[in-house]
Amino acid sequence: MSTRQTGGINRRDALVGLGTLAAAMATASGRSAFAQDAKTIKWWDHFQPIAPLFEKAWANYGAVHPGVTVEHTVMNPADMMQALQLAFRSEQAPDVMSIPAPLATLNQLAGSSWFAPAGSGLHLDKPFQKDVLFEGLTNFGGKVYSFPLFSFRQHSTSLWSLKDKIDTDGNAIKGWDQIRQVAKAATKNGTYGLLLPIQFTDRMRVHVDDLSQMIGGAGPIDWKTGQYNYAADEYVETLQQLLSFQQDGTLHPASSSLDARQGRTRWAAGEAAMFTDGPWNSGVIANSFAQVLPNIAVSGNPVLTDSGHVHSSPQAGTFWISAQSKNPDIASELLNLFTTDEFYIKLAERMDQPPLNLDAVAQANVHQTYKDVVAGYKDSVRLAPEPVIRNADVGKVYGEMKPVSPSLGEIVQGAFAGAFADPKPVLKQLADQMTAERDRAIKAVNDAGGKVSVDDWKFDAWNPAEDFTPDKY
Amino acid sequence: MSLSHSAIRPSIRRRLWADRWIYLFLLPTVVLVASYTIWPMFASIWFSLLDWNGFERAGRFIAFGNYAEIFADRLFWNAFANTVIFVVVAVPIRVGLALLLAVVLNAGLPFSRSFRTAIFLPVVTTAAILGVVMRFVLDPASGPVNEVLLQLHLITQPINFLGRAGLSLYTAIGVWVWKWLGITLIYWMAALQTIPADLYDAARIDGAGRWQRFRYITVPLLTPFTIIITLITVVEATNVFDLMLTLTNGGPFFSSEVIDIFVYRQAFAANIPRLGYASAAALLFGVCVMAVIAAQIVVVARLRRRVAEQ
Repeated sequence: MSTRQTGGINRRDALVGLGTLAAAMATASGRSAFAQDAKTIKWWDHFQPIAPLFEKAWANYGAVHPGVTVEHTVMNPADMMQALQLAFRSEQAPDVMSIPAPLATLNQLAGSSWFAPAGSGLHLDKPFQKDVLFEGLTNFGGKVYSFPLFSFRQHSTSLWSLKDKIDTDGNAIKGWDQIRQVAKAATKNGTYGLLLPIQFTDRMRVHVDDLSQMIGGAGPIDWKTGQYNYAADEYVETLQQLLSFQQDGTLHPASSSLDARQGRTRWAAGEAAMFTDGPWNSGVIANSFAQVLPNIAVSGNPVLTDSGHVHSSPQAGTFWISAQSKNPDIASELLNLFTTDEFYIKLAERMDQPPLNLDAVAQANVHQTYKDVVAGYKDSVRLAPEPVIRNADVGKVYGEMKPVSPSLGEIVQGAFAGAFADPKPVLKQLADQMTAERDRAIKAVNDAGGKVSVDDWKFDAWNPAEDFTPDKY
Repeated sequence: MSLSHSAIRPSIRRRLWADRWIYLFLLPTVVLVASYTIWPMFASIWFSLLDWNGFERAGRFIAFGNYAEIFADRLFWNAFANTVIFVVVAVPIRVGLALLLAVVLNAGLPFSRSFRTAIFLPVVTTAAILGVVMRFVLDPASGPVNEVLLQLHLITQPINFLGRAGLSLYTAIGVWVWKWLGITLIYWMAALQTIPADLYDAARIDGAGRWQRFRYITVPLLTPFTIIITLITVVEATNVFDLMLTLTNGGPFFSSEVIDIFVYRQAFAANIPRLGYASAAALLFGVCVMAVIAAQIVVVARLRRRVAEQ
C-alpha cells in the first residue's frame, strides 16, 4: 500500500494539520470567552490639544478598571460630522463623540435618537456645573445627556502674531487701522501680513460674527427684536475691512484654499505675520510647533470698541454618549472624570478652550498668551439669551430648519473670490432667507402640535453689555 | 404536422442545468452589479421622494417635493451649468488635442515612445491625490507654476488659479484634460492603426499632400471612432467628483461646483444633510445625461443611414 504525496505533504500530514488547526481554533475561541471582560470604548472628538490629558485620565481609569481601554480618534472638525453620519448609518458609531456643529444640528441628532442619557455614572454636584444644564442644550426630556466642558466666556477671533514678523507689540494691536498698518509693514520677503482660513467657511462665519460684535453689532440675531441681523452695518463693515487686506496685497494669497489647521501651519512657518484663531491656538502651537511658542503674541479682542461685546450663547454639551453604545455605563463614568477641580486645572494647562470653571486658569501653569486671551474675555464676552431655554419647542424648529445657502461663511468666501462686488445685498438676502426658513419651520412645528412663535426669539430684558442670566428669562 | 415547442427546445430547468457552469461563473458578477449598481439606483429613486436628513433611520415621504424645490434652487442650476461648461469646454479640448498628438506621434518622430509614456503617466495617478498635489503646484504663494510665470516676467503678481471665482472651473478643466489626455491618446493611436497604409501610399502617388491625406483619408476613416471616443469622454467629464473635491471642493463660492459636488454637499458635507434632496438632484441630472446620450445615438444612427443611402 502506498500513500500518494502531493507537494511533500501526504494525506496523514494533512489530517494531522487540520486537527491541529481545529484545536487551535477551539483554544482561541476559549480564550475569547475569557476575554469577554475586556471593553473598548471608541471615543471621537476634535480636541487635538487636550488629547494627552484625556488619554492620561483614561489610563488612570483603566488601571483601576482592568480591561477597559479607550480607542481615541482626534478628527478634523471640518470632516467630523460626515464621518459620524457614515458611522451611525453603518452601526459603527463611537461610544462617545463631540459634535462640532450648530445647535440646530444637535437638536436634529437628539431628535433622531443618536444619544443616550448620561446615566448614574455622571455626578454634576457643584453649583457652576448645575447652572449650565439646560433643556435643548444638555438635557432632553428632563434627563441629563451631557454637560459643557468649557466656559461660555470665550470667542474664536483673537489676532495671533509672530513677534519677529511685526514691528509693534502684538499684544497691543487694536483697531482695524492699526491691523492694516501692521499687515502692510509685515508684507515683505515672502511673508504676508495676514492669513485667514477662508476655505473653512464655518470658521469664517464665526470670525465675522465675532468681529462685527466687537465693533458694536448685535450678532446674527438681534435679541431685542428677534430678527436676523446679517444686513446690519457692522456686518457689512467687518466684511469690507477684511477685504481691505486683499486690496492692500497683505492677505496671504493662498488663504482661499486653506482651512484653520493648514492656515495655522503656514502661519507658524512664517508665511504670514498674523492669523485669526481662538484661545486653543496657544495649545496647538505648544504641542505641535513648540519652537514657535516664544515668538507668538496675541491681541485677544483685536477690534473691540467701548460699545462692543461678543455675545456667546450658553454652551451645549461637549461629549455625547451614543445610543448605539454597548457600554453606556462605562462611557458615563469616563465622562465623570472630566468634572473634578483637578481636571479643570489640567484642562486649562492644555490651553484649549477655557474650562467651565474659569478660576482654574489662574491656578494653572499656562503660557502668557493664553492667560491674556482668557482674561480679555471678561471684558468682551457676554452671555446671550437662548430661545430654546425659554421654550423647548424651539429645539424642534432648529431641527426643522434646512440649511440656507449661501451661508454667511460662503458669502465671505465669495467676497474674497470676487464672486460679487457688493456684499450688502447678498447679506440682506441671507437675512431674508433665514427669516423665511425660520417662519416655515415654526409653521411646520406648530402644525405638528408644537407651540412656538417668532416672539420666542425676542428678549425685552436683553442688555448687550450684561450677561443674560437665567433669572432674566 | 408540426412538432410542439417543448419537443424542439428542452425545458428551462434542463437548460439551466446544462449551462450550470456558465451561470455559476456569472453569479459573482450578477451579485456585485445588483448590489452596487442596480440596488443603489432603485434606492436613489425611493430616497428622492423622501425628506431625510440621514441622521434618522428613515425619511418622511414627500412625493415630488424635492424635485419641486430643485427646480427653484439657483445653486443646483449653477452646478448644472458648471457641469455643462465642463463638458462643452473639456471634451473637445481633450479629444482634439489627443488626436493631434496621436497623429504627430504616429508619424514616427524620434522619442515618440518617451513622449507617449510621459503623456500617459498622469492617467495612472489617483485623481484625488493629483487634486491635492495640484493645489500645491498652483499655490499662489509658493507654487512652482506661479514661480515660473513670475521668473519669465509673464505676470507681475501671482495668479490665484483656484481661489478666484472666474478662474477655478477653467483651471480644474485644464488639470482634468492634462490628467486624462494619455488615455484618449491611446484610443486614437489604436484607431490610427486600423487605417491601411496602402491608402496613404496610393494618395501619395496621386500627389496628395499631408493635409489632404489627413482630411480625405484619416478623418473619414476615424469617424466611427470619433463618436465612441467622444461618447466615452462625455461620460467621463460628468464624473469628476474625486478630482474636483480635492482640487477646489466646488469653491470658491460655488464657482467650480459641478453636479457631483452639489450632490455630495447636500448629502454629506452640510451641517444638516439632505439625502432625499441629493438623490433627487442626482437623478434629475442622470436623466438629463441619458437624454443627451440618447440624442447622440439617434443623430449617429441617422447619419449612418444617410451615408448608407448615398
